Amino acid sequence: MEGARPTNSEERDGRSKEPSPSELLDRSKMLNFEFNGRRMSAFEGDTVASALYASGVRIFSRSFKYHRPRGLLCVSGRCPNCLMSVDGVPNVKACTERVRAGMKVKSQNCWPSLEHDIFSVIDKIGRFLPVGFYYKTFINPPIEWSRVEWIIRRLTGLGDIEEEIASATGKGPKDGRSIISSSFEHLNLQADVAVIGGGPCGIFAALEAGNAGARVVLVDDQPALGGHLRYSGETLSIDVATGEGAYSGLKSSAVASTLEKAVRDRPNMTVLDNSTAFGIYESNLIGIVRGNSEIRLRAEQLVFATGAHEFPSVFQNNDLPEVFLGRGMQRLINLYGVIPGKRAVVVSNNDSGLGVARTLMDAGVKLEAYIDSRKAVGAPETLAEIEDAKVQTFLGWAVKEARGSKHVSSIVICEVDNEGELVHGTERVVSCDLVSLSTGFETEAWLLNQTGSRTIYDELLREFIPRELKPTVYVCGDLTGIHDLNIAIMQGKVAGLSAAANLPAMARSTELKVEYQRKSLETYSRLVSQYEGKYREGMKHTRGPEVLVVEYPGSDKMRKRFVCVCEDVVAKDISLATFEGFDDIETLKRYSTVTMGPCQGKMCSMPSLHLCSRVTGRSIAQTGRTVSRPPFVPVAMGALAGAELHPVKLTGIHYKHIELGARIMDMGEWKRPHVYTSVEEEYKAVRESVGVIDVSTLGRLDVKGRDAGKLLDFVYTHIFSTLKVGKSRYGVICDDAGIVLDDGTVTRLSETHYFITTTTGNVEFVEEWLVWWATALRLDAYITNVTAGLGAVNVAGPKARDLLRKLTTVDLSSGAFPYMNSAEGEVAGVPCILLRIGFVGETGWEIHFPAEFGEYFWDTLLEAGKEFGVKPFGVETQRVLRLEKKHVIVGQDTDALSNPFEADMAWTVKFEKEDFVGKAALVAAEKKEPERMLVGFVMKDSMVAHDGDQVFSQDGSRHIGFVTSSRFSPKVGRCVGMALVSPEYYKEGSLIRVKSDDALNGAEVTLAPFYDPEGKRLRA
Amino acid sequence: MGFLLECPNCGKRDVYEFRFGGEAHRRPRVNSSSEEWMKYVYMRENVAGVQQEWWFHRLGCHKWFLAIRDTRDNSVMRTFWMGEELV
Ligand SMILES: [Zn+2]
Repeated sequence: MEGARPTNSEERDGRSKEPSPSELLDRSKMLNFEFNGRRMSAFEGDTVASALYASGVRIFSRSFKYHRPRGLLCVSGRCPNCLMSVDGVPNVKACTERVRAGMKVKSQNCWPSLEHDIFSVIDKIGRFLPVGFYYKTFINPPIEWSRVEWIIRRLTGLGDIEEEIASATGKGPKDGRSIISSSFEHLNLQADVAVIGGGPCGIFAALEAGNAGARVVLVDDQPALGGHLRYSGETLSIDVATGEGAYSGLKSSAVASTLEKAVRDRPNMTVLDNSTAFGIYESNLIGIVRGNSEIRLRAEQLVFATGAHEFPSVFQNNDLPEVFLGRGMQRLINLYGVIPGKRAVVVSNNDSGLGVARTLMDAGVKLEAYIDSRKAVGAPETLAEIEDAKVQTFLGWAVKEARGSKHVSSIVICEVDNEGELVHGTERVVSCDLVSLSTGFETEAWLLNQTGSRTIYDELLREFIPRELKPTVYVCGDLTGIHDLNIAIMQGKVAGLSAAANLPAMARSTELKVEYQRKSLETYSRLVSQYEGKYREGMKHTRGPEVLVVEYPGSDKMRKRFVCVCEDVVAKDISLATFEGFDDIETLKRYSTVTMGPCQGKMCSMPSLHLCSRVTGRSIAQTGRTVSRPPFVPVAMGALAGAELHPVKLTGIHYKHIELGARIMDMGEWKRPHVYTSVEEEYKAVRESVGVIDVSTLGRLDVKGRDAGKLLDFVYTHIFSTLKVGKSRYGVICDDAGIVLDDGTVTRLSETHYFITTTTGNVEFVEEWLVWWATALRLDAYITNVTAGLGAVNVAGPKARDLLRKLTTVDLSSGAFPYMNSAEGEVAGVPCILLRIGFVGETGWEIHFPAEFGEYFWDTLLEAGKEFGVKPFGVETQRVLRLEKKHVIVGQDTDALSNPFEADMAWTVKFEKEDFVGKAALVAAEKKEPERMLVGFVMKDSMVAHDGDQVFSQDGSRHIGFVTSSRFSPKVGRCVGMALVSPEYYKEGSLIRVKSDDALNGAEVTLAPFYDPEGKRLRA
Repeated sequence: MGFLLECPNCGKRDVYEFRFGGEAHRRPRVNSSSEEWMKYVYMRENVAGVQQEWWFHRLGCHKWFLAIRDTRDNSVMRTFWMGEELV
């Protein structure tokens, strides 16, 4: 693999000899991992990027459009340059991903390799891919698209989706190996105060809120808390006024460790490190991604300590590998002990560049030049130190271009005039192998903006700073546009104290403490405004040109000034798009795709604003920032979707069905036996002797109360208040549009107690429906869903009575226990409700009993039925048996437009009731000719029909409806079924044709049941 | 990602514990005009603003209650039992 091999050993910079105290590495532990098939080594604590860089890798990716080589830039997970595939998961940021032993890392977006990317030829013909090329190029003709699509897809993809699917489903890549061990999951957390950002101000906010008694969750995206204190390598100078003067004179990384320990030691504090908040939703719900987990954190109060990130200024070839952001450089050196190069240049326009220069010198890197576009700096003593080290300093200068092919080899610098333009003719070349940019901060306000809080551009600070905060929202630190540790500490304390003070009283502590906290809040608030005033004064003195986008005569032709490294948008593209009329920042974003890449504008938002502002002549404040929506960072779909969980409901008898070898089918969330042996055998047992079926999946509701009968009269189309105790009745539920919603039996157990069955899978709905009407009508009726608590079997067939007689003393004779009656009693010693209902058209009882007796009850029935040749039967046999009786299945033989008249169930509608759900609609429907009618049919000869087949008129000329159910009837000896057809066919003996397998097969309409039309058998 | 809703029985819960029951409207009398029934059965206000609506505490106490909610930002002003305020 070319990209992993330095072109000569001189370039292998490696690590510092002595580990620095701020390092996150354990140099005593070595780990091995694989990069593009090659074995690499790392220290425990390394990120993929730091390990690769220390091993000499400089090119980390190929760019999106031009396939230019790209190296590390931000080293903090903000830019797209180091996206790689890790263990099959695409688009992982190598600079934040910890090395694990044996992990497999692959580069993306390059073919065949990072060093020799075939598509980098695009870079040479860049003029063929102008801005907006997605919109301009492929409008017409369509044939062109088909020819180039494959190549564009290959060109523009980020990551391999096949691998993503494989990893999300845990099924692994094509070779069948599962390389993803952990799965996606969801977690929920609650807090009084959520602090987002674990830098110094975030830590102090958390500590103060915690002191006040609040439950705090601190969210930070880094492996170690402390923010820039971890890697800046400075010796702190802290004001006594902050209350933290004790930390003065200490190394920043040591203070970070102390603060981290203080936070972690608190019992009321939860620290979520390596966690990125990607969105703020309603009611202060924070979406957080941590590895493969999505955490949903709900907080009363939100403290934003999200800081600011650096972005690169725009000059020719600014995207060359080894052009770094200053803080990224500091991270590599101080957190990972990497010596990034030999001869460095620092380019700056603010005081943070001085700190970076110091870090580089401390690490033993030769500083070739310090270049600052300002004429004065805020820390003259540091500048003096740099000059003392014989480093050339250029104040009032800026970089014009970087030179080099795969690595930077020199830069060209120019003097800057008062307008911020480069002065032609002042060019000087500085040779170097490392460029560090400290060219500006942008506040990380995207999350804050999602709360509805606004940000405005501050002309003095030159950043977007928070304004008009929503209630429960507080901000502190770099996010406020002020980069000063003393102020950050005090702002953090103010934020934490304010958040705690606004909690409901119960979360807070004693009166005395509350008073003390109120005083602290006052003091720190006063100090913050005082210090901020001073800070702003200082800014006025060092103010100079920013030079975010270098401009000089002819620069508009320079096409390698990259504004957006994600989408390869160059300065010329932005100018062009603005000229083309896309001069509104939001339309500019969509047209040029600037800010729309994986970094979501973090690297390009400010430079593109400056460009847009320059072309349109509008101020930065007038141009405004684009709005970013969640997710704020890319989030794996798998993390959002969570674990692949499918709820499954099993009846209490389920494992008996398995023992009996039943074929199991899904019915909604339930598992049911489809068939045990064969439909013929099971059918024969039921019709000639006795069969049993597990019907525990039926919904069961218990309705109690003075108004129970009234409620049922209102909700069902039939009447139940007049039903005698001990009787059952079939009922249909409609909505107010008259559409059939459900059906089942209603049994009256006492004056004020009814027992209802609903169709399988519909019980939750029927329960909600009944409770809603009871609530809306303000009735004294209480509905309890007893489905899970009750098992049920149906015992049916001419020998059903004989079988049950062996197990119960309940009188089952037709005189004592006629059709549509019920009884409560013991069967096989189990307390049961017995309903004598039709079901499959034979003598039979539906028996409900406590679910825990399921297996015993089932076994006992089968044992007792042996002498009669009892057979268990499945859903398929049940469908044949019930179809022969023309029993309607709601949802199968009816649809979302069926009323009871169409379903041939007019007998269930009782208009004599004053009102009921659906009455108005059904009264109107009854007066009209129905549009379709449900009819039975028998196929001619041996022809078959299927559920869903289309139905035609006898001559085949007219489409008249469709088959809802169809099965072979052993009784009729032919295929029978039901169909929804034009009403003129609702006539015994009408001839129709069913279109099956491309043939129009003849059938004859039958209105009566196919089996025992008089219903003698079920009453026997 | 959901907002919080306060069940009058159980307290503040994530909205995913509830089933939305739609806008709360007065049901017409049985002999009302077909226009009125048509409006009740098929028409929805779909306001961008404050409305009164039904919620069912599906994963909690299995009770229906009413809420006054702003559909623009999902802020819930009030939740209450039927009868505490006229529909
Ligand atoms: Zn509740």
